[in-house]
Formats: sequence, structure tokens, C-alpha cells
Amino acid sequence: MLAPLFMLGEVSMDLLQPRFMATIVDEGVLGLSHGGVGDMSLVISTGLKMIGLVLFGCFCGVMSGVFANLCSQNYGNDIRKDAFRKVMSFSFEQTDRFSTGSLITRVTNDITQVQNLVSQCIRGFVRTFLLFAGGILCMLTLDLSFGVVVACALPLIVICVIFFISRANPMFTVLQDKLDKLNNVMQENVAGTRVVKAYVKEEHEKERFGGANGELVGTQLKVLLLFSYMTPIMNIILNVSVVAIIKVGAIQVGEGSVTPGDVMAAITYISQILNAVMRMTMIFQMVSRGVASGKRIKEVLECEPLISDGGFTGETAVKGKVEFRNVSFSYPGMGGEKVICDFNLTIHPGETFGILGATGCGKSSLVNLIPRFYDATDGEVLVDDVNVKDYTLSRLRGKVAVALQKSEIFSTSIRENIAWGDESADDDKIRHAAGVAQALEFIDSKTDGLDTLVTQGGHSLSGGQKQRVAISRAVLKNAEILIFDDTTSALDLKTEAKLYEALQREYACMTKIIIAQRIASVKDADRIAVIENGQLAACGSHEELMESSAIYRDIYDSQLRQ
Amino acid sequence: MAENKEQSMSNYKVPGMRGPRNRQVEKPKEGKKTLLRLVGYFASEGKVVAFLLAVVFVVVIASVYAPRLQSDAIDSISRLEFGQLTGILATMLIVYVIQSLGTFLQGKNSAILSQRVVRKMREDLFDCVVNLPVKYIDSHSHGDIMSRMTNDVENISNTVSQSLSSLFSGVLTVIGTVAMMIYLCPPLALLSCTTVILTLAATKFLSKAMRTFYRKRQVLLGELNGTVEEMVTGYKTVVAYERQEAVIEEFNKTADELTRAGIFAEILGGSMGPVMNVINNIGFVIIAAFGGYFAVNGVISIGIISAFIVYAKQFGRPIDEIAQIYGQIQTAIAGAERVFAIIDEPREDKSGDKNMDDAKGVITFENVNFSYVPGQQVLHNFNLEVRAGHKIALVGATGSGKTTVVNLLMRFYDVDSGEILIDGVNIKDIDCRNLRENTAIVLQDTVLFADTVKNNLKYSKQEATDDEMVQATKMSNCNDMILRLKDGYDTMLSGEGYNLSQGQRQLLSIARAFLAQPKILILDEATSSVDTRTEKRIQDAMVKLMENRTSLIIAHRLSTIQDADFIVVMEKGRIIETGNHEELLAKQGKYYELYMTQFSGNAI
Repeated sequence: MLAPLFMLGEVSMDLLQPRFMATIVDEGVLGLSHGGVGDMSLVISTGLKMIGLVLFGCFCGVMSGVFANLCSQNYGNDIRKDAFRKVMSFSFEQTDRFSTGSLITRVTNDITQVQNLVSQCIRGFVRTFLLFAGGILCMLTLDLSFGVVVACALPLIVICVIFFISRANPMFTVLQDKLDKLNNVMQENVAGTRVVKAYVKEEHEKERFGGANGELVGTQLKVLLLFSYMTPIMNIILNVSVVAIIKVGAIQVGEGSVTPGDVMAAITYISQILNAVMRMTMIFQMVSRGVASGKRIKEVLECEPLISDGGFTGETAVKGKVEFRNVSFSYPGMGGEKVICDFNLTIHPGETFGILGATGCGKSSLVNLIPRFYDATDGEVLVDDVNVKDYTLSRLRGKVAVALQKSEIFSTSIRENIAWGDESADDDKIRHAAGVAQALEFIDSKTDGLDTLVTQGGHSLSGGQKQRVAISRAVLKNAEILIFDDTTSALDLKTEAKLYEALQREYACMTKIIIAQRIASVKDADRIAVIENGQLAACGSHEELMESSAIYRDIYDSQLRQ
Repeated sequence: MAENKEQSMSNYKVPGMRGPRNRQVEKPKEGKKTLLRLVGYFASEGKVVAFLLAVVFVVVIASVYAPRLQSDAIDSISRLEFGQLTGILATMLIVYVIQSLGTFLQGKNSAILSQRVVRKMREDLFDCVVNLPVKYIDSHSHGDIMSRMTNDVENISNTVSQSLSSLFSGVLTVIGTVAMMIYLCPPLALLSCTTVILTLAATKFLSKAMRTFYRKRQVLLGELNGTVEEMVTGYKTVVAYERQEAVIEEFNKTADELTRAGIFAEILGGSMGPVMNVINNIGFVIIAAFGGYFAVNGVISIGIISAFIVYAKQFGRPIDEIAQIYGQIQTAIAGAERVFAIIDEPREDKSGDKNMDDAKGVITFENVNFSYVPGQQVLHNFNLEVRAGHKIALVGATGSGKTTVVNLLMRFYDVDSGEILIDGVNIKDIDCRNLRENTAIVLQDTVLFADTVKNNLKYSKQEATDDEMVQATKMSNCNDMILRLKDGYDTMLSGEGYNLSQGQRQLLSIARAFLAQPKILILDEATSSVDTRTEKRIQDAMVKLMENRTSLIIAHRLSTIQDADFIVVMEKGRIIETGNHEELLAKQGKYYELYMTQFSGNAI
């Protein structure tokens, strides 16, 4: 980095600044008082000299600004990129642990905070410190007796600063918490407006908001009041020092050891020194905020991805086979409660495999193990007879296409959203995939067709439309294994039937794993697994299960009751 | 309008590029009007404002007077008249004490004032938001509404507390200082004013250049944050499609662009200080040179030069400050404009004086027409009568208008024409609160609050006993599930309910609706993520609960609605078939067709 370079620029500028301040006061005014009768040429020449120095100072100032900025902005940019890259390499266990919301603020707000901290530190801190040290030095060179005033005022100021900082810092944390709380109430009310209205809770919510608002305002007021004490106290110390300097100066002038010009210079210096201290206070505040953010970012950066890459990239003999061997799984941090328990199952290449089960029985958790969204706690998962942990992640995930229960649609065109499945796909391929997914009809009904822009969070599409876009994406990927994790729940039955028909016709040799609630979705699958409490309760074709499995019959009856 | 333009621009897109997002340019459209309204908020705090202004006045006088004293002191030193000095210094001390005291009162009062105003503004805004028609919230981005409530109000708050008194004292200081300078030496005062002109010119030039870059940076920052939010939220899909590298690349590109804009903006911003410094120092030289000249000619004393140096600084600073907060004030006014825009939205019409506490629950739709967007009619001449105590079901394809019926019944939206009656009373004549109190609804997208399970359940009926609550959860089949949670009924749910599955969340909202014991119960795809066996158990429990009450059920799954008393099949906003399950099957129409796809199994 260019750190030392611009530091030097900054230093030279900052050292020059007080110097020519002194020159002006001393030479200009002092020249006058000495001559008694004017020395205009000295005033003018000093004046010109000063302007030159000032311009040079300005140049240095701007240059140091340039370098300080280059440094802090690039630094911020580097951590921002690093942090985002890190987040993109997290396993789901880690994203769950941080929570999405917290990760987002860490990568956005916290980094901006740290970036501000860095630029403030470089510019403010160095500059202030130099002004402070330079001021004291220049003051002492004027006359040592002024040092007494500085020696008295300084400790007072420092004590003040320490007192206020120690009081204010904990308040900032509280303030942030209160703000989060308030935002949370608002978020809930905006997102849940129907529920609030349906239960006629407007007054209740207003009360809740009023409470949070009151707390926030109260805390903020406390902080502000604290500062309203600080500024006048600092001011009075500064002003008393000025008075003291004049007094001391008067005595010295009486003795003839200093000139009135020196006294004026001394006044300038003392205000500079004390101002520097005050500014330091502000910087310390900023630092304490920045450090808190820095810690949060560091937590992200230091987090090592838990799922490590295997080395296997070779071709496998079989394509599209999935096998679970004595697999158990529990979500990290859930107290070891097993979601999947000693699970054994083999899904054959080209098979259409349905999975049914009650809410929370572990269906999604099971398929999450195939592309290694999570790793099995015990036992092993094999894809094409190779343990999933042995594959490189990209090789493994290239074999699997998943459409999730909660369709994640990104704010770009529908075409782009689908093309995630296969970047090289041309329009024909995309249309074909959308056709299989039964999405073409609604896409073509939009004026911009495939180019229709989706708003963030996919709000401009209905639930069923989002699902069909997600399905198109999965289909386009044309992977060996296709997984639908309850992806057809918002489709009406006819559309769903057409989708499966098209899928069977166009992609017959793909292994299809279909999680569903509706028997109709899986009825014609080659085999259907019924999962109950994380275990395989029954497995077989519809007919076999109707015969052998009481649970399946029960599910069937619950849906097909006559 | 802008959207259309952006859409046409989007034909050409680099793979993986985001669409344009929340681009806002910060400039108030009706600055004056908004400012006046903002002032209105302060008017109600008249006393504090008056006191504050009085204090500022005193502070300004003190700070204008102090350098004068300083100049006297220097003069007496240079004239070696130490006798007067003690007196002058004593006066100086007194003035400084007054100044500090005043500063303290100023700080304290402006803090109190700003916080009161902000509190009131937030409360007003929230009051409006809870009373906004659902239509408004549906048709505006939640992020935008949220940002008005948080960022904009925060912005106004900061500006108010920071710049209100500094603006006022700044103006007063400038006036006071100029007056004092003219009083001391008019020619020198005139010369000092050249600095003002320079300051203004420099500020104007720099801030104009800065604004472009700051705006660009703001837009890029918004884009970047949007990307992060989207990619982290949709991380599963990113991983499933191995898009990490592409996403990172896109992010890096925006980040680099942002950094570039940021560097320019900050360099310009950072140059402001040194440039001002130069101008100040030039002023300094002017005062020293001409002051020297005047002093040599005996027009003024050295003390006056010293005072002028202080004054020149003193009046340069507020101008500098005002220039800096000018931008901030503009942003704040633009924010206030957005806040007032929401406050000005018409509130939900809740008028009506009849109540339906004794209603039996007969619901009648008469010739109802409705469209969300003019020209795209969703319901056409919709007629339906639901008998009291009946269980009625709406089925039909996505977009056939089922949910719209519910939106109208709950008065989330109002009909375009026609009438909806409950027990023969138009729902527009029923007190909206009363209507909703007697109607419970469970939506497909469950809404749970970041609170305990218990409080979430009792949301529908605060005075319910724990026994009633447990009864409701047993009926909705989630008692066991709740007991399995870490702290049972006292478990805190995380904001977006990450610790529960979609199905579990649906069960909780059903329990919440059951607890309300409403006259009319509406389930809009309320069990779509619940497995069918659990659903059946809930339905069996509902039979008892809904005895003599009317329920309206919307579902894709025919199994959900099979035992309804009356089934309405909808297509494109029209009713095409009605009857009970057997009747409809016998008709061999649309319902039969739907039924066959589900039951006789040509699904796969």
C-alpha cells in the first residue's frame, strides 16, 4: 500500500501549517510593533510568502486526501470483497448460525463503518495528533512560561475526554439495540399488515411501537444530553486557558521577554492544541463504533468453511444413482435431536422416486444431504457409488439440479433466472425448458416475454409462477439427478399433471426425486418412500404401498376419501 | 414511467446482471411546502423553540463580544498599560462563562426539541402506516416503506438535532460579526468580505461536483447492498447452481465501481477542507497586510487587527458550516417529503356504524365486480350466497380470483360495483373493526411475530386463558409440536420464523385463528404445507368448533374441501359450477376434471 507515502505528505503539510501561522503572527504583526512606524514591505513580502506556503499546504492537503482515500477506499473494497467471497463459501450450517439478516448487515453496514473508521483514522487521527504535538512544540519555543498554562489545561481536558467517552460508549450499543427493536416492529407491521388488520390490532401495534419509539428516543436523548455537557465544559477550559495566556503573556511582556505578537501567536496555538484534543474525542467515538463493526466482520472472515472439498472429479460408471447408508442427521445447534435416523435407501438411475411424509418428518433434510447442503452426522451418502464427500463440490453439484420449496427468484429478467441452470443455453433451450415446466404460457402472456423483469423477492410473480420459473431453471440444468422439494405445491393439479407428463417424455433417463404432499403428485412414480419421524416407514410402488402400508393408505384416504 | 424506460433498456443484459433497483435522486420537489410542514412540527413545541432561540441569541452576543475584549487586552499589553488588564480579563471570564452556560442550554434544548419532534413524527407516520389500506402496502415495495420509516426519519432527526441551532447561531454570528467588524473598521471589514465571496464560490463549485459523485455512489451502494441481500437470502439456490463465482464476480464489479466513485467523491469532499483553509489564510494575509497598513497610518490599533483575525475566522466558520449542512438539509427535506407522502395517503375507510355481533353469518355477494388494476377485471358479476353455519369451499386454478373474494370480504379492498352483505347488511355499513373482529383469517403466507409462541397465539384474543389456548393448539394439532420446542409455549420465535418449518408455522396461525372463535372463519390455502393426515385431523376438530359458524375455505387440494357443504368452482373471475362434492362429480364438468387429475391418477 501507499501508506507511508501519503503519511509523509500529510505530515509535511501538517507541520508546515502551524509554522507559517507562526510566521504571520510573528513577522507581520511583530514587525509592526517593533518598528513602531511601519514596515510595509515586510508585511507585503511576508504576506506573499505566506500565500505561497498556503497554496503549497493546500496542495499537500489535497494530495494527502487523495492517498488517504485511495487507501481507505481500497481497503474497504478489499474487505468487502473478501467478506462476500467468504459468505459465498459458507456452508448452510454457518449461514444458519449467523442468520441471513446479520450476514447482510455485516457485509453492508459494518464494512461501511470500518471504511469510515480507516479514512477517519488516517486523516483525522494523524492530522490531529500532529497539530497537537506541533502546537505544543511551537508554543514552547515561543516562551517556556506558556508551557505552564498548557500543563494545567491539558490534564483537565484529558480527564474530561476519558470521562465522557467512558460514559457514552456503552450508550451507543444500547442505542443500536433500541433502533433494531423499533425497525423490527415496523418490519412486522408492514409485512404482516393483513394479520394486524384482520385481528383489529392497530391500537395494540401503535402501543407497541410507541413503547419502542419512547425507549429509542429516551436513549438518544441521553446521549445528546451527555454531549451537551461536554462541549461547554471543553469550551470553558479552552477560554480560561486563553485568559491565562494573556495574563501570563502580560507579565512576560512587562518583563520584556516576549512581544505582544508572541502572545497573539500563543493564543492561536493554545486553541489549536485544545481543538485537537476535542477532535480526538470525536475520533475515539468513531473508533469505538468502527471497532465493534470490525469485530463482526472479523467473525465472518475468520469462519472456515465447514464443508471441505473432496478430490474426485472423474467419471462414474453409473449415472444418477443415490444411496443412503445408515444415515443419521441432526441440525447443528439443535441439541442433537435427530431429524433423520439410521436411514437406508437406494434410488436407481432413471427412476422417478416420490417421497411423502408428515410436516417436519425430515423429507427436505434428507434431500439436502445429496448436494451436500448439509453433511450427514453419521453414515454415508453416495451418488453414483461415490461418497458425496469425495467429490469436488462443483462436480457433485453439477450432477444434481434442485428446485426448492421456497422458490428463490432473483431481480433480473425471467430469461436470466432460468439461464442460471445453464449459462450457455440459447433462447430455444430456455423456451424448451420453460415449456416442460409449463411456464411458457404465462411468460408469453407478459408483454416483454422472457425479458420481463422480476422485482426483488419475486413479488411481481404469483407463487405458482415463481415455482414454475424455478422448475424451468432446474430442468434447463439437465443434470443426472433432478430434485423437486415440494416445488409443485402452488400449481393446480392439471398444470402439475402436464408438467410431469412433459418431464417423463423429454427427460426419461433423468433420476427424478419428488417430494410432495399430494398423493397425485407421486402416485405414478416408480417407487414411493413414506417417511415418518426421520425413518423410512415404507417404500414401494403405489399399488404395493396401498397393500402393505397402513400409513400410506391413511394418507391416501385423507386425500381420496369418497 | 421510469420503470418502463428501464424495462426497455433491459433488453440488453450481461448474464448475471441485476435489474435496476431503488434508484432515487435526492432532491426535494416541493422544498418550500415541505419545509413549512416541517416547521409546523416545531411550532407545537413553541416554548422550547422560543427559549432555544433566546439562548442562541445570548451565545452569539457573547461570542461576538469576546474577541473585542481580547483585542482590548492585547492593546493594553502592547501599550504596556497593565492596570486595565485585570479588569478586562475578569470581564472576559464572565463572558466566557455566560457563553458556555448558553452553549450548554442550547445543546440540551435542541436535543430535547429534536427528539420530541422525531418521536412525534415517527408516531404520526406509524399511525398512518397501520391505517393504510392494504392496497397501498400491496402495491408498494416493503423495502421502500421501511426505508421511509427508518432512514428518512432518522435523517430528519439527525439534521434537526445537528443543524437547527448551528444554522440559527451561524446566521446570527455572521450578522453579529459583520456588524462588529464594520463598527471597528469599515474598510477592513469590506476587505474581509472578499473571503466570503471566495468561500461561496468555492463551495458552490465543489459541492456541485461532489453531488454528482455522491449520487452515483449512493446508487451503486444501493445496488451493492441489494445484491448482497438477494444472494444471501437466496444462498441455497446460488449454491445449488454453483453460481458463487459468477455472483462474486458481479459483486466485485459493482464494488470496484463503487470504490472508484467513492474515491472521487471523497477526494472532492476532502479537498473542501484545504481549499477553505487557503481561503481563510488569504483572508488572514489580507487582514494582516491591510491591517498593518492601516495601523501604520494610525487608523486602527494592533488590538483591532487581532480581533479581526478572530472575527474573520468566526464568520468564515458558520458560512463553511452552512455550506456543508446545506446538502444535508436538502436530503432531509427530500426525506421529509417522502414521509409526508405516506402521511398524506388516504387512510383506510373504516366508517360504518352497524355491528354484526349478533349476526348469524349469512354472506351474500351481489353482482360484484372488481379489478386491482383498472381494465384488468378480476371478478365478473360475482353472485354467491353462503348460508349461516355452512362450510363453503372455493376451488379453481391459480389466478381465478379465489383470494380476491377473501380480500373483498375482509374489506382489504373495496368492490368496484355490487354489494357484499352479511345478514343482509352491506359490509360497508358495518364498522370495519367490528367486521374484522368477527372474522378470522388464516393466510398461505403465515405471519408470525418475533415474540413467544404464547403471545403469538393470543394475538387474536388477548384475554384468552391458557386453557383456551391449549385447546386451540390441540385442535390445530400443534400442541405436541410446541411442547417439543425448547421452552414450550414460552419459546421465542425468530423474526421470520426460521426455527419453524412452513407447515409448523401454518399450524400455529390456524391455532391463532381458532382461539379467536370468530363468527366467520376464512382459510386461504392455510394448510398447503401441512401433510394431508394432519390436515384431516384439523378438519375433524374444526367441525365442532365451527358448529353454527360460517367457514370459507380456499384450496388447491381437493381433499381439503371435499366435505364442504357447498363447493364453488371458479375460473377467470366467474363461477362456473356449484354444488356439493357428489353433485359436482355427477355433473362430470370442470370439478370432475380436476378431481380426475388428482384421483384417478394421470398425474405422472
